[in-house]
Amino acid sequence: MKNSFLLSILLMLFFVGALQAQQISVSGVVTAASDNLPLPGVVVLVKGTTNGTVTSVDGKYSISVPSQDAVLQFSFVGYSAQEIQVQNKSIIDVKLAEDVKVLGEVVVVGYGEQDRKTLTSSISSVSSRDIQGLPMASPDQMMQGRAAGVQVNSSSGTPGGGMFIRVRGSTSINASSDPLYVVDGIPIVSNNQSQVGLGGQITNPLADLNPADIESMEILKDASATAIYGARAANGVVLITTKRGSSQKAKVEISSYVGVQSLWRKPDVVNGSTFENLINEARANNGQTPLYANPNNALNTDWMGEIFQDAPMKNFDASVSGGTDRVKYLVSLNQFDQDGITKPSNFKRTSGRVNLDFAASDKINIGTSILVSRNFRNRVRNDNNIYGAIGAAYFLPTNEPVFNKDGTYNKFSIFENPRAAVNEVDIGMLTNRILANIYADYEIMPGLIFRSTWSMDYNNVKEDTYENTFLNTGSATNGSGSSIVTVNDNWIWENVLSYQKKFGANHTLSSLLGYSAQNSYFENTSASGQQFPSNDFRRIASAAVQTSSSQGSGWGIQGIFGRVNYAYKGKYLTTINVRRDASSRFGATNQAAIFPSVAFGWVVTEEGFMKNQSLISTLKPRFSWGITGNQSGIGDFQSRGLWGGGANYTDFPGTQPNQLSNPDLKWETTTQTNIGFDFGILKDRFVLTFDYYNKQTKDLLLAVPLPSTTGFSSIVQNFGEMENKGFEIGINGSLVNKEDFTWDFGFNISQNRNLIKKLAAPFNVWTRDIIRLQEGVPLSSFWLHDQVRVDPQTGLSIYRTVNGEAAVNSPDFNAGRDRFIVGNAQPDFFGGLNNTIRFKNFDFNMFWQFTVGNDQLNWVKFFQEHGGTRNTGFVSSQMARWQKSGDITDVPRMVATNYRGDLRPDRFLEDGSYLRLKNLTIGYTFPSAISEKVGFSRIRVYGSGQNLLTFTKYTGLDPEVNSGADSGGLAEGIDLYAMPQPRVIMGGLNFTFK
Amino acid sequence: MKLNNYKLVFALIGSITFSCNVLEQEPELQISDERAFTNLNSANAALFGAYNQLQGVYQGRLQRVSDVSGDVSQSVGTWDFYREMDTYAVSPDNTEILDLWTFIYRTVNQANNLIEEVPKIEATQAQKDNILGQAYFLRALAFFDATRVWGGVPGVVGDLGVPIVLSPSRGVNEDSYPARATLQVSYQQVKTDLEEALKLLPESQANNAATRGRATKPAARALLSRLHLYLGEWAQAETRASEVIADAKFSLIEYSAIFSADNSGESIFEVQFNNADQSGLRFWYAPGAIGGRGELAANTDFYNSFANNDARRALFGLDATLNLRYPSKYIRAGNVDNAHVLRIAEMYLNRAEARAKKTAPDNDGAKSDLNKVRTRAGLPNYNDDIPLLEAIERERRWEFYAEGHIFFDLVRTNRALTVLKNVNRKNGPPVTLSSAGRQIMPIPRREMDSNKNLEQNAAYK
Repeated sequence: MKNSFLLSILLMLFFVGALQAQQISVSGVVTAASDNLPLPGVVVLVKGTTNGTVTSVDGKYSISVPSQDAVLQFSFVGYSAQEIQVQNKSIIDVKLAEDVKVLGEVVVVGYGEQDRKTLTSSISSVSSRDIQGLPMASPDQMMQGRAAGVQVNSSSGTPGGGMFIRVRGSTSINASSDPLYVVDGIPIVSNNQSQVGLGGQITNPLADLNPADIESMEILKDASATAIYGARAANGVVLITTKRGSSQKAKVEISSYVGVQSLWRKPDVVNGSTFENLINEARANNGQTPLYANPNNALNTDWMGEIFQDAPMKNFDASVSGGTDRVKYLVSLNQFDQDGITKPSNFKRTSGRVNLDFAASDKINIGTSILVSRNFRNRVRNDNNIYGAIGAAYFLPTNEPVFNKDGTYNKFSIFENPRAAVNEVDIGMLTNRILANIYADYEIMPGLIFRSTWSMDYNNVKEDTYENTFLNTGSATNGSGSSIVTVNDNWIWENVLSYQKKFGANHTLSSLLGYSAQNSYFENTSASGQQFPSNDFRRIASAAVQTSSSQGSGWGIQGIFGRVNYAYKGKYLTTINVRRDASSRFGATNQAAIFPSVAFGWVVTEEGFMKNQSLISTLKPRFSWGITGNQSGIGDFQSRGLWGGGANYTDFPGTQPNQLSNPDLKWETTTQTNIGFDFGILKDRFVLTFDYYNKQTKDLLLAVPLPSTTGFSSIVQNFGEMENKGFEIGINGSLVNKEDFTWDFGFNISQNRNLIKKLAAPFNVWTRDIIRLQEGVPLSSFWLHDQVRVDPQTGLSIYRTVNGEAAVNSPDFNAGRDRFIVGNAQPDFFGGLNNTIRFKNFDFNMFWQFTVGNDQLNWVKFFQEHGGTRNTGFVSSQMARWQKSGDITDVPRMVATNYRGDLRPDRFLEDGSYLRLKNLTIGYTFPSAISEKVGFSRIRVYGSGQNLLTFTKYTGLDPEVNSGADSGGLAEGIDLYAMPQPRVIMGGLNFTFK
Repeated sequence: MKLNNYKLVFALIGSITFSCNVLEQEPELQISDERAFTNLNSANAALFGAYNQLQGVYQGRLQRVSDVSGDVSQSVGTWDFYREMDTYAVSPDNTEILDLWTFIYRTVNQANNLIEEVPKIEATQAQKDNILGQAYFLRALAFFDATRVWGGVPGVVGDLGVPIVLSPSRGVNEDSYPARATLQVSYQQVKTDLEEALKLLPESQANNAATRGRATKPAARALLSRLHLYLGEWAQAETRASEVIADAKFSLIEYSAIFSADNSGESIFEVQFNNADQSGLRFWYAPGAIGGRGELAANTDFYNSFANNDARRALFGLDATLNLRYPSKYIRAGNVDNAHVLRIAEMYLNRAEARAKKTAPDNDGAKSDLNKVRTRAGLPNYNDDIPLLEAIERERRWEFYAEGHIFFDLVRTNRALTVLKNVNRKNGPPVTLSSAGRQIMPIPRREMDSNKNLEQNAAYK
């Protein structure tokens, strides 16, 4: 705004000089094609002259041109310029289309902004217009398929549930491999804050943010971009910038959508008769008498119908933004409400935001960004939890009734009755969060600005659970309840001095120097009770047996950092970053860490020899190298030798040695090299971005196994090594760019190859040791028994052994020994394809997302294709069992030997690749004449669908789930009773008025 | 607003002083190891910590290993660690075996800490002796259990014992990677520790619950009586058992009363649990309907072997869905049941066996001891229906169900390969203990992987 104001003054001066000639007067209004809103500050210039003006706050302009041949140029940052010949028109109204070109944008970088033209590092951007009106609970979903090199998977369809996000792969085993999230400059808490374990799922604190508040997300990927975040940067940094006001009349935007979610694939379980026949067959094969006399008369209970539902979701957003030349404001309100497709799960958020900027004087700006978010989750047990709802619905045979004759829940074996599991369960989580900062800028001299920012991230999570006596756990204890309050309290104070200057015509310098201190404190207080007088009493005060506990721990980090960007003639670019971090978590002998990075870029298209062609508009090779760290895996006091309490002998308080000391403990170190280029043709109408990277991580924090004879199982040491290599290709283009018809597309594809290079000893994670970590394989490698085939003669499964192959009952097959790594959950490629078409008043978006080559373990089949060794339900794949000599199948004969409990057959490991139509939207914006009649400047209606089509060979309920989400990223690609991603059909409305 | 550079500098300096303490953080839940033993209170806390480790062994883990690997319990669920025991096919990857190993050696390390540090604290000699005596007892019990689980029984199976670690771990060095001692040396260490404990321990602790819930001289004697049976030292086994039987604190009481309340007169040493510190004794057996895991059940043939009027037969529940019996000895809501490690009935049966086996057998004495236990259960006297030693074995099977004796008893008496043949199972065909080497458990793979100096038991190589 300020720049255009200056520019307009300059232009006015020239305008005065041009008055002498014979003049034709032209006037009009410039509006944005997307929302019909007037655009203030648009530069209107007579082509080939210095004669020009800028539009007013109402988007109006008037200008005198020398003749009818004159051509008017309309240009505005972020919009495609237009040229119109005056001819005999005296009124020329112009609609400017938003410029979708990637290059030429300003991107947010760590502690600043930079023109993408001069960028030397690798940064992906996702802007608000890419995701407008899409039903997303949390902003991290915005990145899925839209940012090259960023792998985003939902762990389940659980509302407000966790996401798996990797920027250029996982660098760590015991530390987190999640990126650092920085919202308006605040490094935020992004890990699960729930203290209640319900199975494999975790909750997602990013769902505290309202996606509609977000202006853009920048994903910093290479070391040059991330090194300024030092000891927390190894996994990439996601910068989230929220919308702010601009100097214009108050603009009110209201939008709302309503949708319904449903299962896109029906669970495939056998009916009651088939169940009884299968059990009888298994018993006959095992030499036992049939259990069921009349399978044809069996009950057939629809357990899935008991727990799954068509679930509504709705969202309401309202914002007011605007400002004067001194004050700019944005105030927003959001209400989001999503039921899960598994009863009774729900996520409900109410959030408010105030972003304010105030120019106190010519030199001083102060401002604030405040988010207050309150949200509530109603949760249900699922995933790796046999007491969960989905598990129960699979485990209970369909020939079992819902209720006993006396009206009580029919309990089967150890499982929860599915209807009880969804109707009686009561697990609530209430989060209140304040994410706020205040800043002050002082311009010491032109180009030299000092900014001080104080931020807080305060999370208060209150969780209440109650198990009534209709539930298994509740019946054992006569009702049990718990109440846990968790507080995660952070403050951050940062001071940055930045300096920008152009020296002569050729040298551009921008640099900064900063200091950052953060203190983080976590505590929780919990109370639990058992033995309640009746199910009507739910607070612990009423429990006969009560226990309580509280704990707390804190850490701090302090850094100084600097950056220099230097460009020579706009074609030779250099960036140097350094950060020095000290952390309370580091051991005594490693107090501080230094993280440097350098980057170079060459804008070939700025060279003289490229000036004579017009095809290639951008060619910029880039190179960067740097070192970043990861301190998240170090426990707060991990380097010290410690004894802990709580080792009680009934009521007598006891202590025990908890940890051997390791004063050498330090951060994990990742060295990353990035080589890439940006290539644009036809004035950057088509842009290709390519990056190749090589990330080598050493000093991986590992719990190095110790012989338990020491009394300790492990000691955390900087021991391991990990590698991630890969490439990313992004192509963006504008196929059609006319006033009434635009067609933009974006495509990206990425590959990451992860490799564990050094470990102390192989180890297994997840129940039944499904995932094995060992040197020479990637993370999330499946360690299973390799079923070669089912012998067509005998129906016995044949397994690979260390010596060849052997039948399952042969002494040559040793289940303890003959386990192999048979696949892994990491995709070969992943990416997305986005098409946005605007035709007259219609808009259309189609967004595909894909992942190729990842294995997904359909572990539901391990339990539900049990061959009669259990008395629990079957999935219909059991029907493909071997029955008679000559049958060719991979499901063995239903005898006990084939379905031994110690087998982990790899026939349940399936191709998890999928291509999914993530979004399809058709919208219509009413002509401004109509909307203005009813008092709005813009009205848009749209209908949209998510997950409408999924192409996959995976046979489970959904390929995009992971029941090991609570494993810290070590167990990916496991489907065990996870809530599937829903298909959503929805419609929405956007209103704007001034 | 006017702000000059000087004001700015002042503001800057002020705020930097305000925020430079973020690196100074102190733990709130733990203490540095040098603060672990500062006085009698902290030494006692470390002692309770040692019992806490022992709880990890006796919360049901050791008992289940023995009962499922024997012929009295079975796995009727899906967890492989019990399926493996059920089918006599335990593998080095068995996580229950690993957990057992881990808790046993945590007990050892904590006892070693006590033995090294307690002499240095300020306290009376009696106070120190009591703590040290308990530490020696706990270490003896840990090594005893380790040796019988992974080492074997002299003359029956095994010649390697277990790693004998006698000093506390403070850092990682070459002592952190011990090799296995011989079987003889391992049992000798148990004996040495028990004899040391016997010197230091009091006859009883401050009150009844402490007397039966912590180590005392009678507990050391009772464990010695058992140890001597393992070593074939019959006369000593008899003597130690007699010493405990003569102790007025202990007597045979009504069978069900042993389990319905804590710390009865029957008990010599029982590991304590309560609502705040729960056991796992109930969980794995109790059916889902009453909040258990229903993973284990009594062997049906074993249940049917009880006489109808046997008082011990009453301590079983019926899981009607599966038509299976589960032990109801340890069934109190809230997992509060104590685990019985040493009780007076065992002393009678130990003595009966010792008397029958000693060089000059005392069969009448043996029968008299056996009949004491039978009478209490409401059974008639032993009538020579089967040989005496088998009758003692049978009685132990009935008497100590769910208390974790049978497998070790069968191995100790070299009967395992004879008895564990074609044992009927609910979840599969009958099973047979196939090889002598499988009378001991595999060293956990995790332990083998992390310590190159360990040798695996032959049957698991």
